[in-house]
Amino acid sequence: MTDAALPLAKAPARPSRERLVAVALAAPAVLILIFLFALPLAKLLAASLTGAEGLTFVEYGKLLGTSFYLGVIWNSVRLALYTTGIALLIGYPAAFALARARGPVRSFLLACLFLPLAASVIVKAFAWTILLRSDGLVNTLLMAVGITAEPIRMIFTETALIVGSVNIFLPFMILPVYTVVAQLDPRLSDAAATLGASPVEAFVRVVVPLTIPGVVAGVALVFSLAVSAYVVPTLLIGERYPTLSTTIAKAYLLARQPAFGAAAGVVLLVIAVATVAVSARLAKLGGAK
Amino acid sequence: MINRLATLFAWAMAIGAALFLLAPLIVIAAASFSPTPVFDLPVDGASLRWYTRIGQMDGFWPALSLSLQLAAFSTLLALVLGTLAAIAIAQGRLPGAEAIGTFLVSPLMMPGLVLGIALLQYFRMVGFNAAWSALLLAHLVVTLPYVARTMIAGLSRFDFTLVEAARTLGCTYPGAILKVMVPALAPSFLTAGLFSFLASFDNYPVSIFLTDVRTKTLPIKMLQYIEEAPDPTLAALSTCILAATVVLLIASDRLVGLHRMAGTGQ
Amino acid sequence: MSERDHLVVRQASKRYGATTVLDRVDLSIRRGELVTLLGPSGCGKTTLLRLIAGLALPDTGSVSIAGRDVTRVPPHKRNVGVVFQNYALFPHLSVAGNVAFGLNVRRRPKAEVRAAVEKALALVHLGHLAERPISALSGGQQQRVALARALAVEPDVLLFDEALSALDRKLREEMQGEMRRMLRDIDATAIFVTHDQDEALTMSDRVAVMNGGRIEQLAEPRLIYERPASLFTLNFVGLSTRIPGTVVSEDNGTVEVDTPVGRLVATGGFIPGSRVIVATRPEHLRPATGDEGNAVNGRVRSIVFQGSRSLVEVGAGGETLLAELPGQEAAHLAPDAEIRLGWPVRETFAFPAPELSTPELAA
Repeated sequence: MTDAALPLAKAPARPSRERLVAVALAAPAVLILIFLFALPLAKLLAASLTGAEGLTFVEYGKLLGTSFYLGVIWNSVRLALYTTGIALLIGYPAAFALARARGPVRSFLLACLFLPLAASVIVKAFAWTILLRSDGLVNTLLMAVGITAEPIRMIFTETALIVGSVNIFLPFMILPVYTVVAQLDPRLSDAAATLGASPVEAFVRVVVPLTIPGVVAGVALVFSLAVSAYVVPTLLIGERYPTLSTTIAKAYLLARQPAFGAAAGVVLLVIAVATVAVSARLAKLGGAK
Repeated sequence: MINRLATLFAWAMAIGAALFLLAPLIVIAAASFSPTPVFDLPVDGASLRWYTRIGQMDGFWPALSLSLQLAAFSTLLALVLGTLAAIAIAQGRLPGAEAIGTFLVSPLMMPGLVLGIALLQYFRMVGFNAAWSALLLAHLVVTLPYVARTMIAGLSRFDFTLVEAARTLGCTYPGAILKVMVPALAPSFLTAGLFSFLASFDNYPVSIFLTDVRTKTLPIKMLQYIEEAPDPTLAALSTCILAATVVLLIASDRLVGLHRMAGTGQ
Repeated sequence: MSERDHLVVRQASKRYGATTVLDRVDLSIRRGELVTLLGPSGCGKTTLLRLIAGLALPDTGSVSIAGRDVTRVPPHKRNVGVVFQNYALFPHLSVAGNVAFGLNVRRRPKAEVRAAVEKALALVHLGHLAERPISALSGGQQQRVALARALAVEPDVLLFDEALSALDRKLREEMQGEMRRMLRDIDATAIFVTHDQDEALTMSDRVAVMNGGRIEQLAEPRLIYERPASLFTLNFVGLSTRIPGTVVSEDNGTVEVDTPVGRLVATGGFIPGSRVIVATRPEHLRPATGDEGNAVNGRVRSIVFQGSRSLVEVGAGGETLLAELPGQEAAHLAPDAEIRLGWPVRETFAFPAPELSTPELAA
């Protein structure tokens, strides 16, 4: 917040008319986010540190000092790690195929990407509860093929949670990778080949480094979305897998422990922001522009 | 040989991903025609009766109306404010333009839930308790960064000499913006509008903290139905929402082209 | 200001932060005249053009067009036509839509607009492409549309900002000739901004050579080349031989200069002892016959064959002489051959030597 406010304050003593116009154009949006975003976040931080007798770290101690809540944090992080890893494994090669596709095939694949992206998260999570029920489609298929004789219990397991989470966040991995791959100059691989690189070497030494910025963006996006997911764990696993998100919601909506909820919120925020910040740093180190 | 294997692998993953991504959407649509109340697939005959029951769900119409209002108003406001700010940033006459751009986009990386509780606490503190307005302001914080991001990206590709050209041809400055910049930015505008509308319409984690007994958005109502008594009526409702999304996407594709939205979306 | 001065810029200055981009520039242009602002990037030529168009305001000074002071008039009320560097064609409008734009915002009746668009497109030979989208045109065609769009509003003055620089060489040369004829036919007053000296010399009635925010010389192309007023103009336009030396005597408009290649005589007035640069153009150097004013012995360094002529570089006393010789005269020369070159005194100029040699002058 101070970052954004400072340049405004430092504007020259006699700003030109063009500059005044620019400030006037940006002011409403900036003011709205200062008052409805930066300030509330600052207040949230303050609330998490305020006890009956002023400054206190009691809530953070409860979060970071009891094995139950450390487990809750680990639940959130584990879900995000699995989701990000699997999404990368599927998304990276898929993005290449999408970038190569032309004509109706490309239109179809893009539709398969955008339609789920635009579709409601609640609708998709609800669909997975139907798919993964013991009499649901997945079990029917498994039994028909003969992989299992009895229906496997899938809904309300960690597997169900991860499948649903990957399904919902996969497009956020494919899109940034696709953007980078689509801009890749195909002559670069040819150039590597003329310089004596085998296809594998050309891929590892030329293509992979050039796609790093897209991968980093996708990883950051998927991780920060998955770590703070609320609807997906609520519907697909419920009480038996408490995450930071569900803990925060409970603290505010049921338990009436706003200070504790605020502290959990700050921890979640720190994890999400740290992911983005670290990956931005990595992208820079990785030789991106 | 390795090339062909790699290509084959990439295509397998792409087609697998496509089917995987479509699966829940197809299942929900199929289940909405279930002949029985337990989500049977319509193998032995389909039924449309669940669709007729959507409107009878408790509190459905007010929730739909509220969600549409919030999405429409917050998107409209965000488009105006976000575009103006993006113009100021892209023209490079704004002191600290880059920092301001980062600030405007930063709520995107904020967990929605955290934004929700922060606003809840803040509104309580300042004694602001009108649920409708609180929701609208919260949704504006959700939609504004979408618009800012897309419009800043779109404007960074815009050639500002076009505005100068229009001015030398006899347009006033506002006239030049209207006649030249607005049409050139229409695709970004549409993309920004579409995605911020959907983000608002589908928002759960921010809204949940700002509702009261009478003011509930559709996603909140839907989650409540799913947890209380899931039946194929919900699948029917979901299918309707999906159908509306498909119509919106097809319209945008006709107007802009999906491949271009893939570029401007990120 | 004389009756015929159509566009007058008086004492115009412009600063951006600490940099002075234009430094008290004066410029007067007659009706129907084609003038080029020529100079390296950063010399202020584009800024001067933008001041005239109204896209930037001068800090001091004034601009008047057709007898009207327009210094503070916004661009849309100036009635100028601008052809931008990358054309700035509106991508959402067709060819005809682009050309009609200026007339439509002037709210001219439909029939009049249609007629004017047809006329402007016919002038640039693009009548058959009126309904095409801009993206379907080649670079040369886009350039013509940009010109037609600027012409359609019948501007008081046409401004071209590096308008031909995006075209390839052959097309650019064709367009130069065609545009000059067309602008003559419609009696247009035009200012071109360019860093391309060939374009400046072929297109314009007068050339303003700009450097460091000032106009160094404003004259006809021939005079710019044959009688450069400053060392900068000499260097920027065309090739030359430049030899530093010290004036030993002055007599009635000529000076005798001691140089590393011997004593040379040049036109100019300097007191003895002045440090000067003696210069001449390559086409004046010939194998010496004995009755030239200046003659130097040297050794051929290189010969560059250029078709009908050859460019010969000759080393003498640590300096380099540049001679442009007709084919047959250069045919018997070989690198390392001894040669004596001579040239007339009236084609030899002397300029004050710069106190600090700038990179351009060293080149």
